[in-house]
Parts: sequence; structure tokens; C-alpha cells
Amino acid sequence: MSIKRIALALFLGCVLAPMSQAQIKHIEMRLEGMT
Amino acid sequence: MKQSLGRQSGVQKVEVSLLNGTADVTPKEDGQIDPVKLLGVAYDSGVTVAEMDMTAEGKIVKDASGNLALQVEPNRSFELAPNELSSGLESLAGTQTTVTVRGQLYKEPAGKKKKKVDTPVPLKLLILEVEKKNR
Repeated sequence: MSIKRIALALFLGCVLAPMSQAQIKHIEMRLEGMT
Repeated sequence: MKQSLGRQSGVQKVEVSLLNGTADVTPKEDGQIDPVKLLGVAYDSGVTVAEMDMTAEGKIVKDASGNLALQVEPNRSFELAPNELSSGLESLAGTQTTVTVRGQLYKEPAGKKKKKVDTPVPLKLLILEVEKKNR
């Protein structure tokens, strides 16, 4: 039973890990009209 | 404006430089940040966003129209503006390879001032630099 759970966890990790890395890391805005 | 930007979902930190006229936004890792909303919030704070640059990691995909896009979340992608760098990424479309790119997401149209950015059309990402490819 525990082997099945470990295998499932490994499988999900392989599938989900690449997508979890995807993200917006930084945003920079150049602004006008600031006082 | 710093407080307004900081209140937006997905925003971890905001640093505004009056000297340079820039605002640096560090997103949280929850993927909730919405660049279009940030443009609107900046406008509502009384400033004009002349340009917005973004660094993001994601997969290269092709949308229904066959245009290349950077998918940063399962339900969020940015269409790539065609240029030499985006053409170089075309071979990665549909693969599991992730790329980290820096690009220009918005630039104020020439001759237009103080117009609210409230576009329902997704912004196009003009890639300025491909920083990293991860297979």
C-alpha cells in the first residue's frame, strides 16, 4: 500500500513540478507623472 | 501608489523610486499577480505607466490561432510579439522545456497621455532577452 502511495507521489511530483516553476518573477514599471 | 500596488493580490513587495521614476514589483509565488490590473492601479493613483517589463518563467505554447505564447500558469499565458528571439523559441512550443525570459509587456502608445489601460485584449510580450532554458 505504501509503495503505491510513494509511486503516486513520485508520479505527481514529476508531472506538477515543471508547471510549479512557471511564474512571473519580476515586474518593472517605468512611470511618468510621479511627484 | 506603493500602497495601492502592494494591496493587489499576488504582490509580495513594491519598491518605488522617485529618482528613477520606476516601480519594481516582486510577485508572490501564488501566481495571482495580474500585470493588467497593476497598470490600472497605477493609472488610478495618478501616474502614467510609460513601459512595463516582466521577467517570467514558463512554457512556450501555441494558442488556437497558432500564435506563440508564454504560459506562466495553467490558465494564464501571454502572446509573444513576433521578433527574432520569439522565433528562436518556436521549436520549444508544446514541449516541457521551460524558459525564463525578460520582455516588454506594455509600452505607452506614442502621442497618447493619461489614458486608462483597461484593455480586454491580452498584452503581447516582446521578448528582449532569453535568460534561461530548462529541459
